[in-house]
Amino acid sequence: MYKPQRLHPLAILEFIMRKGYSLVQALLPLFIIAIAQEQFRQWLLLALPLLLLLFLTYTILYWLRYVFYISGQELRVEYGVLVRKKRYIPFERIQTVQVSAGVLQRLLGLVKVQVETAGTGNKAEFVLDALTRAKAEELQQILQSGVKPVAETGGETAYSEHQLPTRSLLLLATTSNSIGVVISGMLVLISQLDDFFGQLDVWGKVGAYAQHLAAGRMSSIILAVLLLLLLAWLLSLGGTIIQFGGFKLRRETSHINISRGVFQKQQISIPLSRIQAVKVVESLLRQPLGMVSIQVVSISNTGTQSEGNVLFPLLPKSELAGFLEKVAPEFNMSGEVQRLPARSRRRYLLINIIPTLIIALLCTIYLPWGFSGFILPLLGAVLGARQYADAGYQVTEDKILLRSRCLGRVTMIIPRRRIQSLHVSQNPFQVRSHLSNLGVAVASCNTASTFKLKGMDKQKCSDIMNFLSGKRGPWTAPHSR
Amino acid sequence: MRDNPEQRIDAKAVPYWRWSAAIESAFLLLIPTGYHWAQQHWHWPAWITFVLLGAILTYAVYAIVFKPIITWRTWRYQVSEQEIDLLQGVFVKTRTLIPMVRVQHVDTEQGPLLRRFGLSSVTISTAAGSHRIPALADEAAALLRDQISVLARVVDEDV
Repeated sequence: MYKPQRLHPLAILEFIMRKGYSLVQALLPLFIIAIAQEQFRQWLLLALPLLLLLFLTYTILYWLRYVFYISGQELRVEYGVLVRKKRYIPFERIQTVQVSAGVLQRLLGLVKVQVETAGTGNKAEFVLDALTRAKAEELQQILQSGVKPVAETGGETAYSEHQLPTRSLLLLATTSNSIGVVISGMLVLISQLDDFFGQLDVWGKVGAYAQHLAAGRMSSIILAVLLLLLLAWLLSLGGTIIQFGGFKLRRETSHINISRGVFQKQQISIPLSRIQAVKVVESLLRQPLGMVSIQVVSISNTGTQSEGNVLFPLLPKSELAGFLEKVAPEFNMSGEVQRLPARSRRRYLLINIIPTLIIALLCTIYLPWGFSGFILPLLGAVLGARQYADAGYQVTEDKILLRSRCLGRVTMIIPRRRIQSLHVSQNPFQVRSHLSNLGVAVASCNTASTFKLKGMDKQKCSDIMNFLSGKRGPWTAPHSR
Repeated sequence: MRDNPEQRIDAKAVPYWRWSAAIESAFLLLIPTGYHWAQQHWHWPAWITFVLLGAILTYAVYAIVFKPIITWRTWRYQVSEQEIDLLQGVFVKTRTLIPMVRVQHVDTEQGPLLRRFGLSSVTISTAAGSHRIPALADEAAALLRDQISVLARVVDEDV
């Protein structure tokens, strides 16, 4: 049904760029040495075109030999010029099929298809660099028909579409974490500048700047820094918009299809049966705005990039339940989240106060104005109290929910049949107060991904173990729907 | 309260751990020896030799005398049709429950030192990492491996 065929000739260009880059990287030291030597230089002039010609021939041969086809229930790719390689992937091993288009491909109306399996490593198993859109769609259809549909998601008409409104996109961009990175980068830069001017008295300078500001005479340096900050902020804003602009999520029978990106259109297809857990993140900046972002834990390789596992970048919290119900009903949540026992509150406070207190003490001893560091333990106490108040869990017939906070609040929703192993641990400090920690391991791209909730009642942990264990029924949860 | 798993690991694990800790400590002693040589050679501070020596000896006493017996006393395992239940830890006691349907494969393993004691370790792998039962008598380990392998095969599910 799908005859052996080559990629679109544009792929040659892609190969040249990719292979050329690594070739240049490898040969650069050699070139530098050659150029430095008088007698080699002329020689090089001769050899260079020859080398280029050889390289070009090689790439064209590579393209000629790069053949893919479908046979039986397998996707097969044969390639290689000197060493011939064949790679077969059975359909049911395919985790995701990703279709994207770079600037070059878009000009010619082509796309790039990446096929991924659960294997380790960050690289996709198959990259088909240039295909016409029609061909790619046909291929995607065939591949997806092979990926096992999930039985319990039921209803064939379960189909819905969600877009990221412009307002949310702007909010996403303005509250993105990269701003923090950019600002800290700027601070490093400023301290470098300080070193550069040979004045180590950072704090004195800050004080002097403050005085300048108070006097209403903004120094040109400050102006420049502010401008730079603004520029950085705009950059991160633009970056987010380019990445997430035009975000669209479509729930199909057995897949979630996501497309996003302004210049480089990316299309990601996640089989519902491959989602191991759903993670709802309320970051510090977004929680007050009532916005959450939703991520998935899956076994595909693209998941390693932090952006790769975004299911929906920003959603009002009030719409969360409805969204999950429509898009991933296996993960919908409702009902009360159980809180931790009151006696574990002290521990949450101490764990935050003690290290910050040590830092504050060190600051006071070694830095002028260091006593201002005592604001840290105060912040630590507030954070600890919040961490305690937010921590919680919920166990139902077919899933377990864990909620905790480091800085932002994170809620994990894990179906019972996705639990790879369950851990209950207790350290010596917890013995007397009968507390223990619960850990749930799920499969993900980076082999172990364990979600923990600290300071639970020991009896409750034990109950959860009993509840989830074989005595109440098999680990493969009853197919409820 | 959930009952602790019943099965203990082999009692020969204690002498095995003692020997392996002794060998490890002997290797660690190379560090202060090396430092001592360097100290003679370049006139580095001498007290560091004693600090290193003290730290390594303390560790050796703990690892040879106390740790094996505590570890052995805590270690329990139990394999049922539905799951594998493990209990371990010296300071932090960890209870691990592995559903049988999640087991991808089981291995037994035997290093040269383990072989001298007639012991093997059993490693249970899931899609989210592996778990090890450290020291069982050879026959017990083989039996356990085969038993888990059969039980895990009953339900053949994809991740």
